[in-house]
Amino acid sequence: MPSEETRERIIKAIDLGRTVLHYGWIPFIIYIGYTRSNPQPSLIKLISPLA
Amino acid sequence: MSSSSPEKTLAEPSSSSVLSYLPGGATLSGWNNSFQSWRSSLGLPAPGTAEHLQKEVKATLLQNMFFDGARADLSKSLSMNPVFQVTHSFALGSQTAPPSYNFGALFANEAIFMQGGMDDGGNLTMRYNQGWGGNHVSKIQSQISSQPGHSMIQLEHDYQGADYSINVKSLNPSPLDGTGIYVGSYLQSLTKNLALGFESFLQRADPTAPSELNSQFMAKYTSTDRNWIATAQLQPSGILSATYWQKLSEKVDVAADLQVLAMPDRRDAVATLGAKYDLRFSTFRAQLDSSGKVSALLEQRFAPTFAFLVSGEIDHFKNAAKVGVGVMIESSSLTPEELGMAPMPGGGMPMPPQ
Repeated sequence: MPSEETRERIIKAIDLGRTVLHYGWIPFIIYIGYTRSNPQPSLIKLISPLA
Repeated sequence: MSSSSPEKTLAEPSSSSVLSYLPGGATLSGWNNSFQSWRSSLGLPAPGTAEHLQKEVKATLLQNMFFDGARADLSKSLSMNPVFQVTHSFALGSQTAPPSYNFGALFANEAIFMQGGMDDGGNLTMRYNQGWGGNHVSKIQSQISSQPGHSMIQLEHDYQGADYSINVKSLNPSPLDGTGIYVGSYLQSLTKNLALGFESFLQRADPTAPSELNSQFMAKYTSTDRNWIATAQLQPSGILSATYWQKLSEKVDVAADLQVLAMPDRRDAVATLGAKYDLRFSTFRAQLDSSGKVSALLEQRFAPTFAFLVSGEIDHFKNAAKVGVGVMIESSSLTPEELGMAPMPGGGMPMPPQ
Protein backbone atom coordinates (compact mmCIF):
# COMPACT_ATOMS: atom_id res chain seq x y z
CA MET A 1 0.00 0.00 0.00
CA PRO A 2 1.53 3.36 -0.97
CA SER A 3 2.00 5.95 1.74
CA GLU A 4 -0.44 8.80 2.28
CA GLU A 5 1.89 11.26 0.58
CA THR A 6 2.31 9.12 -2.53
CA ARG A 7 -1.41 8.59 -2.73
CA GLU A 8 -2.01 12.31 -2.72
CA ARG A 9 0.63 12.80 -5.36
CA ILE A 10 -0.95 10.14 -7.58
CA ILE A 11 -4.41 11.68 -7.17
CA LYS A 12 -3.02 15.09 -8.07
CA ALA A 13 -1.23 13.68 -11.11
CA ILE A 14 -4.43 11.97 -12.31
CA ASP A 15 -6.40 15.19 -11.87
CA LEU A 16 -3.79 17.15 -13.77
CA GLY A 17 -3.71 14.54 -16.53
CA ARG A 18 -7.48 14.66 -16.84
CA THR A 19 -7.50 18.45 -17.11
CA VAL A 20 -4.76 18.40 -19.72
CA LEU A 21 -6.63 15.76 -21.72
CA HIS A 22 -9.92 17.61 -21.36
CA TYR A 23 -8.71 20.89 -22.80
CA GLY A 24 -5.71 19.74 -24.79
CA TRP A 25 -6.92 16.76 -26.78
CA ILE A 26 -8.77 18.56 -29.58
CA PRO A 27 -6.08 21.26 -29.98
CA PHE A 28 -3.57 18.42 -30.10
CA ILE A 29 -5.45 16.62 -32.90
CA ILE A 30 -5.81 19.87 -34.80
CA TYR A 31 -2.12 20.62 -34.40
CA ILE A 32 -1.09 17.14 -35.55
CA GLY A 33 -3.56 17.23 -38.42
CA TYR A 34 -2.56 20.72 -39.45
CA THR A 35 1.15 19.97 -39.50
CA ARG A 36 0.92 16.51 -41.09
CA SER A 37 -1.76 17.27 -43.68
CA ASN A 38 -0.84 17.19 -47.29
CA PRO A 39 -1.39 19.85 -48.62
CA GLN A 40 -1.45 22.05 -45.57
CA PRO A 41 -4.87 23.72 -45.17
CA SER A 42 -5.35 27.37 -44.31
CA LEU A 43 -6.29 28.23 -40.74
CA ILE A 44 -9.60 29.91 -41.57
CA LYS A 45 -10.82 26.79 -43.37
CA LEU A 46 -9.97 24.78 -40.31
CA ILE A 47 -12.18 26.64 -37.88
CA SER A 48 -15.07 28.20 -39.77
CA PRO A 49 -17.97 25.92 -40.69
CA LEU A 50 -18.75 27.97 -43.79
CA ALA A 51 -15.42 28.73 -45.45
CA MET B 1 -4.61 -21.95 -45.65
CA SER B 2 -1.09 -20.69 -45.16
CA SER B 3 -2.46 -18.70 -42.31
CA SER B 4 0.40 -18.74 -39.85
CA SER B 5 0.92 -15.02 -39.67
CA PRO B 6 4.44 -13.55 -39.79
CA GLU B 7 4.75 -12.96 -36.06
CA LYS B 8 3.68 -16.51 -35.36
CA THR B 9 6.44 -17.95 -37.52
CA LEU B 10 8.82 -15.59 -35.78
CA ALA B 11 7.58 -16.65 -32.37
CA GLU B 12 7.89 -20.36 -32.95
CA PRO B 13 11.69 -20.71 -33.01
CA SER B 14 12.04 -18.69 -29.81
CA SER B 15 9.48 -20.79 -27.96
CA SER B 16 11.15 -24.00 -29.10
CA SER B 17 14.54 -22.68 -28.01
CA VAL B 18 13.16 -21.89 -24.57
CA LEU B 19 11.57 -25.30 -24.37
CA SER B 20 14.74 -27.07 -25.42
CA TYR B 21 16.39 -26.02 -22.14
CA LEU B 22 13.79 -27.91 -20.14
CA PRO B 23 14.02 -31.62 -19.57
CA GLY B 24 11.83 -33.26 -22.17
CA GLY B 25 11.45 -29.86 -23.79
CA ALA B 26 12.35 -31.08 -27.24
CA THR B 27 9.36 -33.40 -27.19
CA LEU B 28 7.18 -30.57 -25.94
CA SER B 29 8.33 -28.23 -28.66
CA GLY B 30 7.83 -31.01 -31.21
CA TRP B 31 4.29 -31.41 -29.95
CA ASN B 32 3.82 -27.69 -30.03
CA ASN B 33 5.04 -27.47 -33.62
CA SER B 34 2.87 -30.35 -34.78
CA PHE B 35 -0.08 -28.83 -32.89
CA GLN B 36 0.50 -25.51 -34.64
CA SER B 37 0.81 -27.08 -38.06
CA TRP B 38 -2.26 -29.24 -37.43
CA ARG B 39 -4.13 -26.11 -36.36
CA SER B 40 -3.14 -24.14 -39.43
CA SER B 41 -3.96 -27.14 -41.65
CA LEU B 42 -7.57 -26.85 -40.48
CA GLY B 43 -7.78 -23.52 -42.29
CA LEU B 44 -10.06 -21.95 -39.72
CA PRO B 45 -11.25 -18.46 -40.57
CA ALA B 46 -10.82 -15.43 -38.32
CA PRO B 47 -13.89 -15.28 -36.09
CA GLY B 48 -14.09 -11.50 -35.80
CA THR B 49 -14.00 -9.92 -32.39
CA ALA B 50 -16.25 -10.50 -29.40
CA GLU B 51 -17.23 -6.85 -29.37
CA HIS B 52 -18.33 -6.98 -33.00
CA LEU B 53 -20.14 -10.29 -32.72
CA GLN B 54 -23.38 -8.65 -33.81
CA LYS B 55 -21.81 -6.12 -36.16
CA GLU B 56 -23.88 -7.03 -39.23
CA VAL B 57 -27.13 -6.96 -37.28
CA LYS B 58 -26.31 -3.60 -35.77
CA ALA B 59 -25.53 -2.18 -39.19
CA THR B 60 -28.86 -3.41 -40.54
CA LEU B 61 -31.14 -2.37 -37.69
CA LEU B 62 -31.54 1.33 -37.11
CA GLN B 63 -31.53 1.46 -33.31
CA ASN B 64 -28.10 3.03 -33.21
CA MET B 65 -28.77 5.47 -36.03
CA PHE B 66 -32.20 6.70 -35.08
CA PHE B 67 -32.55 10.36 -34.17
CA ASP B 68 -35.42 12.76 -33.74
CA GLY B 69 -35.70 16.49 -34.13
CA ALA B 70 -33.45 18.25 -36.58
CA ARG B 71 -29.77 17.89 -37.06
CA ALA B 72 -27.06 19.07 -39.36
CA ASP B 73 -23.58 17.66 -39.74
CA LEU B 74 -21.06 19.75 -41.57
CA SER B 75 -17.87 17.89 -42.09
CA LYS B 76 -14.81 19.16 -43.78
CA SER B 77 -12.04 17.00 -45.14
CA LEU B 78 -8.80 18.85 -45.00
CA SER B 79 -6.57 16.02 -46.07
CA MET B 80 -7.08 12.52 -47.39
CA ASN B 81 -3.75 10.92 -46.66
CA PRO B 82 -3.42 11.09 -43.71
CA VAL B 83 -7.12 11.58 -43.06
CA PHE B 84 -7.79 14.85 -41.30
CA GLN B 85 -11.25 16.26 -40.92
CA VAL B 86 -13.24 18.53 -38.68
CA THR B 87 -16.98 18.33 -38.12
CA HIS B 88 -19.57 20.68 -36.74
CA SER B 89 -22.77 18.99 -35.62
CA PHE B 90 -25.92 20.78 -34.61
CA ALA B 91 -28.99 19.12 -33.14
CA LEU B 92 -32.21 20.63 -31.90
CA GLY B 93 -35.85 19.87 -31.29
CA SER B 94 -35.30 16.38 -29.96
CA GLN B 95 -37.79 14.98 -27.45
CA THR B 96 -35.10 13.28 -25.46
CA ALA B 97 -32.04 15.50 -25.66
CA PRO B 98 -31.54 19.26 -25.31
CA PRO B 99 -30.29 21.25 -28.30
CA SER B 100 -26.59 20.76 -28.71
CA TYR B 101 -23.57 21.67 -30.73
CA ASN B 102 -20.59 19.41 -31.10
CA PHE B 103 -17.22 20.12 -32.60
CA GLY B 104 -15.19 17.15 -33.67
CA ALA B 105 -11.74 16.57 -35.05
CA LEU B 106 -10.34 13.39 -36.52
CA PHE B 107 -6.90 12.35 -37.62
CA ALA B 108 -5.94 8.94 -38.92
CA ASN B 109 -3.03 7.35 -40.68
CA GLU B 110 -2.04 3.69 -41.10
CA ALA B 111 -1.18 3.18 -37.45
CA ILE B 112 -2.96 5.89 -35.50
CA PHE B 113 -6.57 6.90 -35.19
CA MET B 114 -7.37 9.96 -33.07
CA GLN B 115 -10.78 11.43 -32.63
CA GLY B 116 -12.15 14.03 -30.30
CA GLY B 117 -15.45 15.78 -29.82
CA MET B 118 -16.37 18.65 -27.55
CA ASP B 119 -19.99 19.64 -26.98
CA ASP B 120 -21.40 22.96 -25.90
CA GLY B 121 -21.45 21.82 -22.27
CA GLY B 122 -17.69 21.37 -22.35
CA ASN B 123 -17.76 17.58 -22.29
CA LEU B 124 -15.04 15.83 -24.20
CA THR B 125 -15.32 12.42 -25.79
CA MET B 126 -12.11 11.02 -27.15
CA ARG B 127 -10.77 7.92 -28.82
CA TYR B 128 -7.24 6.95 -29.55
CA ASN B 129 -6.31 3.74 -31.34
CA GLN B 130 -2.75 2.70 -31.89
CA GLY B 131 -1.97 -0.18 -34.22
CA TRP B 132 1.30 -1.93 -33.43
CA GLY B 133 1.46 -4.04 -36.58
CA GLY B 134 0.85 -7.76 -36.49
CA ASN B 135 -2.83 -7.44 -35.53
CA HIS B 136 -2.22 -5.78 -32.17
CA VAL B 137 -4.29 -2.67 -31.50
CA SER B 138 -4.40 -0.65 -28.30
CA LYS B 139 -7.33 1.63 -27.71
CA ILE B 140 -8.10 4.39 -25.27
CA GLN B 141 -11.59 5.74 -25.04
CA SER B 142 -12.63 8.40 -22.63
CA GLN B 143 -15.36 10.84 -21.68
CA ILE B 144 -14.37 13.79 -19.59
CA SER B 145 -16.89 16.10 -18.06
CA SER B 146 -16.41 19.09 -15.82
CA GLN B 147 -19.05 17.66 -13.49
CA PRO B 148 -17.45 15.26 -11.04
CA GLY B 149 -18.43 11.64 -11.41
CA HIS B 150 -19.32 11.79 -15.08
CA SER B 151 -15.91 11.00 -16.47
CA MET B 152 -14.83 7.59 -17.61
CA ILE B 153 -11.85 6.04 -19.28
CA GLN B 154 -11.47 2.70 -20.95
CA LEU B 155 -8.15 1.13 -21.82
CA GLU B 156 -8.28 -1.75 -24.22
CA HIS B 157 -6.03 -4.09 -26.12
CA ASP B 158 -7.04 -6.24 -29.04
CA TYR B 159 -5.22 -9.10 -30.66
CA GLN B 160 -6.50 -11.01 -33.64
CA GLY B 161 -4.83 -14.30 -34.37
CA ALA B 162 -5.37 -16.43 -37.42
CA ASP B 163 -8.37 -18.26 -35.97
CA TYR B 164 -9.01 -16.52 -32.68
CA SER B 165 -9.27 -13.08 -31.14
CA ILE B 166 -8.47 -11.80 -27.69
CA ASN B 167 -9.52 -8.57 -26.09
CA VAL B 168 -8.76 -7.21 -22.64
CA LYS B 169 -10.05 -3.95 -21.30
CA SER B 170 -10.38 -2.06 -18.09
CA LEU B 171 -12.94 0.60 -17.28
CA ASN B 172 -12.04 3.35 -14.84
CA PRO B 173 -9.11 1.45 -13.37
CA SER B 174 -7.77 3.07 -10.25
CA PRO B 175 -4.02 2.72 -9.74
CA LEU B 176 -4.50 3.38 -6.03
CA ASP B 177 -6.85 0.68 -4.81
CA GLY B 178 -7.41 -1.48 -7.89
CA THR B 179 -11.09 -0.69 -8.22
CA GLY B 180 -12.71 -0.67 -11.63
CA ILE B 181 -14.16 -3.09 -14.12
CA TYR B 182 -11.90 -5.49 -15.94
CA VAL B 183 -13.12 -7.42 -18.96
CA GLY B 184 -11.43 -10.18 -20.89
CA SER B 185 -12.84 -11.95 -23.92
CA TYR B 186 -11.74 -14.78 -26.17
CA LEU B 187 -13.36 -15.95 -29.36
CA GLN B 188 -12.15 -19.03 -31.20
CA SER B 189 -13.18 -20.59 -34.52
CA LEU B 190 -13.86 -24.27 -33.95
CA THR B 191 -14.93 -25.22 -37.45
CA LYS B 192 -15.15 -23.24 -40.67
CA ASN B 193 -18.62 -22.14 -39.61
CA LEU B 194 -18.77 -22.11 -35.85
CA ALA B 195 -16.97 -19.87 -33.40
CA LEU B 196 -17.36 -20.03 -29.64
CA GLY B 197 -16.16 -17.62 -27.03
CA PHE B 198 -16.60 -16.15 -23.61
CA GLU B 199 -16.33 -12.80 -21.96
CA SER B 200 -15.62 -12.35 -18.26
CA PHE B 201 -16.24 -9.23 -16.20
CA LEU B 202 -14.42 -8.63 -12.96
CA GLN B 203 -15.99 -5.83 -11.03
CA ARG B 204 -14.36 -4.25 -8.00
CA ALA B 205 -16.45 -1.33 -6.84
CA ASP B 206 -14.97 -1.12 -3.38
CA PRO B 207 -11.42 -2.07 -2.34
CA THR B 208 -12.70 -3.72 0.84
CA ALA B 209 -15.53 -5.70 -0.75
CA PRO B 210 -14.78 -8.90 -2.63
CA SER B 211 -14.75 -8.50 -6.38
CA GLU B 212 -17.52 -9.92 -8.49
CA LEU B 213 -16.84 -12.13 -11.48
CA ASN B 214 -19.46 -12.60 -14.18
CA SER B 215 -19.14 -14.37 -17.48
CA GLN B 216 -21.10 -14.59 -20.64
CA PHE B 217 -20.83 -17.11 -23.42
CA MET B 218 -20.99 -16.46 -27.11
CA ALA B 219 -21.58 -18.51 -30.20
CA LYS B 220 -21.49 -17.42 -33.81
CA TYR B 221 -22.45 -19.54 -36.78
CA THR B 222 -21.57 -18.27 -40.22
CA SER B 223 -22.89 -20.05 -43.29
CA THR B 224 -20.37 -21.52 -45.69
CA ASP B 225 -21.10 -18.91 -48.36
CA ARG B 226 -20.97 -16.14 -45.68
CA ASN B 227 -24.49 -15.03 -46.58
CA TRP B 228 -26.04 -15.52 -43.21
CA ILE B 229 -24.85 -15.31 -39.64
CA ALA B 230 -26.55 -16.43 -36.45
CA THR B 231 -25.22 -15.43 -33.05
CA ALA B 232 -26.19 -16.09 -29.47
CA GLN B 233 -24.95 -14.54 -26.25
CA LEU B 234 -25.92 -15.98 -22.91
CA GLN B 235 -25.31 -14.60 -19.45
CA PRO B 236 -25.91 -17.21 -16.77
CA SER B 237 -27.80 -14.61 -14.71
CA GLY B 238 -30.56 -14.95 -17.28
CA ILE B 239 -29.98 -12.67 -20.24
CA LEU B 240 -30.06 -14.17 -23.70
CA SER B 241 -29.49 -12.28 -26.89
CA ALA B 242 -29.91 -14.07 -30.18
CA THR B 243 -29.56 -12.55 -33.62
CA TYR B 244 -29.84 -13.61 -37.20
CA TRP B 245 -28.62 -11.72 -40.23
CA GLN B 246 -28.97 -12.60 -43.88
CA LYS B 247 -27.90 -10.98 -47.08
CA LEU B 248 -30.81 -11.59 -49.41
CA SER B 249 -29.25 -9.93 -52.42
CA GLU B 250 -26.57 -7.39 -53.27
CA LYS B 251 -28.86 -4.63 -52.07
CA VAL B 252 -31.01 -6.12 -49.35
CA ASP B 253 -29.98 -7.25 -45.86
CA VAL B 254 -32.42 -8.47 -43.24
CA ALA B 255 -31.81 -8.96 -39.55
CA ALA B 256 -33.70 -10.28 -36.56
CA ASP B 257 -32.81 -9.77 -32.95
CA LEU B 258 -34.27 -11.35 -29.84
CA GLN B 259 -33.45 -10.17 -26.32
CA VAL B 260 -34.74 -12.29 -23.47
CA LEU B 261 -34.43 -11.31 -19.82
CA ALA B 262 -35.38 -14.17 -17.53
CA MET B 263 -34.34 -13.18 -14.04
CA PRO B 264 -36.24 -14.30 -10.93
CA ASP B 265 -37.65 -10.82 -10.35
CA ARG B 266 -38.00 -9.64 -13.91
CA ARG B 267 -39.04 -11.28 -17.13
CA ASP B 268 -39.06 -9.50 -20.40
CA ALA B 269 -38.43 -10.13 -24.07
CA VAL B 270 -38.17 -7.96 -27.15
CA ALA B 271 -37.93 -9.15 -30.71
CA THR B 272 -36.90 -6.87 -33.54
CA LEU B 273 -37.09 -7.45 -37.25
CA GLY B 274 -35.46 -5.12 -39.72
CA ALA B 275 -34.38 -4.70 -43.31
CA LYS B 276 -31.86 -2.50 -45.05
CA TYR B 277 -31.96 -1.55 -48.71
CA ASP B 278 -28.79 -0.17 -50.24
CA LEU B 279 -29.87 1.64 -53.34
CA ARG B 280 -27.65 3.55 -55.65
CA PHE B 281 -27.98 6.94 -54.00
CA SER B 282 -29.80 6.08 -50.85
CA THR B 283 -30.00 3.71 -47.94
CA PHE B 284 -33.34 2.80 -46.47
CA ARG B 285 -33.80 0.98 -43.18
CA ALA B 286 -37.08 -0.18 -41.72
CA GLN B 287 -37.78 -2.13 -38.60
CA LEU B 288 -40.57 -3.48 -36.48
CA ASP B 289 -40.33 -4.64 -32.90
CA SER B 290 -42.52 -6.50 -30.47
CA SER B 291 -42.91 -3.47 -28.18
CA GLY B 292 -45.09 -1.96 -30.89
CA LYS B 293 -42.59 0.35 -32.52
CA VAL B 294 -42.31 0.78 -36.24
CA SER B 295 -39.43 2.90 -37.43
CA ALA B 296 -37.70 3.84 -40.63
CA LEU B 297 -34.68 5.84 -41.70
CA LEU B 298 -33.97 7.10 -45.17
CA GLU B 299 -30.58 8.42 -46.10
CA GLN B 300 -30.72 10.04 -49.51
CA ARG B 301 -27.55 11.24 -51.13
CA PHE B 302 -28.31 13.99 -53.65
CA ALA B 303 -24.70 14.68 -54.44
CA PRO B 304 -21.47 13.12 -53.20
CA THR B 305 -21.20 15.91 -50.68
CA PHE B 306 -24.82 16.35 -49.68
CA ALA B 307 -27.07 13.83 -47.95
CA PHE B 308 -30.54 14.24 -46.57
CA LEU B 309 -31.90 12.08 -43.75
CA VAL B 310 -35.46 11.45 -42.65
CA SER B 311 -36.33 9.24 -39.74
CA GLY B 312 -39.61 8.35 -38.14
CA GLU B 313 -40.86 6.14 -35.39
CA ILE B 314 -44.39 5.28 -34.30
CA ASP B 315 -44.96 3.60 -30.98
CA HIS B 316 -48.36 1.94 -31.41
CA PHE B 317 -48.69 0.82 -27.80
CA LYS B 318 -47.88 4.20 -26.26
CA ASN B 319 -49.46 6.17 -29.08
CA ALA B 320 -46.38 8.29 -29.55
CA ALA B 321 -44.41 9.31 -32.59
CA LYS B 322 -41.04 10.81 -33.32
CA VAL B 323 -39.82 12.42 -36.49
CA GLY B 324 -36.35 13.57 -37.42
CA VAL B 325 -34.80 15.35 -40.36
CA GLY B 326 -31.15 15.92 -40.96
CA VAL B 327 -28.65 17.09 -43.49
CA MET B 328 -25.06 16.00 -43.90
CA ILE B 329 -22.85 18.32 -45.84
CA GLU B 330 -19.29 17.54 -46.64
CA SER B 331 -17.05 20.17 -47.98
CA SER B 332 -13.50 19.75 -48.98
CA SER B 333 -10.75 22.21 -49.43
CA LEU B 334 -9.13 19.81 -51.84
CA THR B 335 -9.52 19.67 -55.58
CA PRO B 336 -10.55 16.34 -57.14
CA GLU B 337 -6.97 15.78 -58.29
CA GLU B 338 -5.71 16.20 -54.76
CA LEU B 339 -8.32 13.76 -53.58
CA GLY B 340 -6.69 11.25 -55.87
CA MET B 341 -9.87 11.03 -57.94
CA ALA B 342 -11.16 8.46 -55.49
CA PRO B 343 -13.72 9.99 -53.19
CA MET B 344 -14.63 7.53 -50.50
CA PRO B 345 -17.62 5.42 -51.44
CA GLY B 346 -20.56 6.80 -49.54
CA GLY B 347 -18.32 9.51 -48.13
CA GLY B 348 -18.69 7.99 -44.68
CA MET B 349 -16.40 8.35 -41.75
CA PRO B 350 -13.20 6.37 -42.06
CA MET B 351 -13.28 3.38 -39.77
CA PRO B 352 -10.80 3.10 -36.93
CA PRO B 353 -8.32 0.26 -37.29
CA GLN B 354 -10.18 -2.74 -35.96
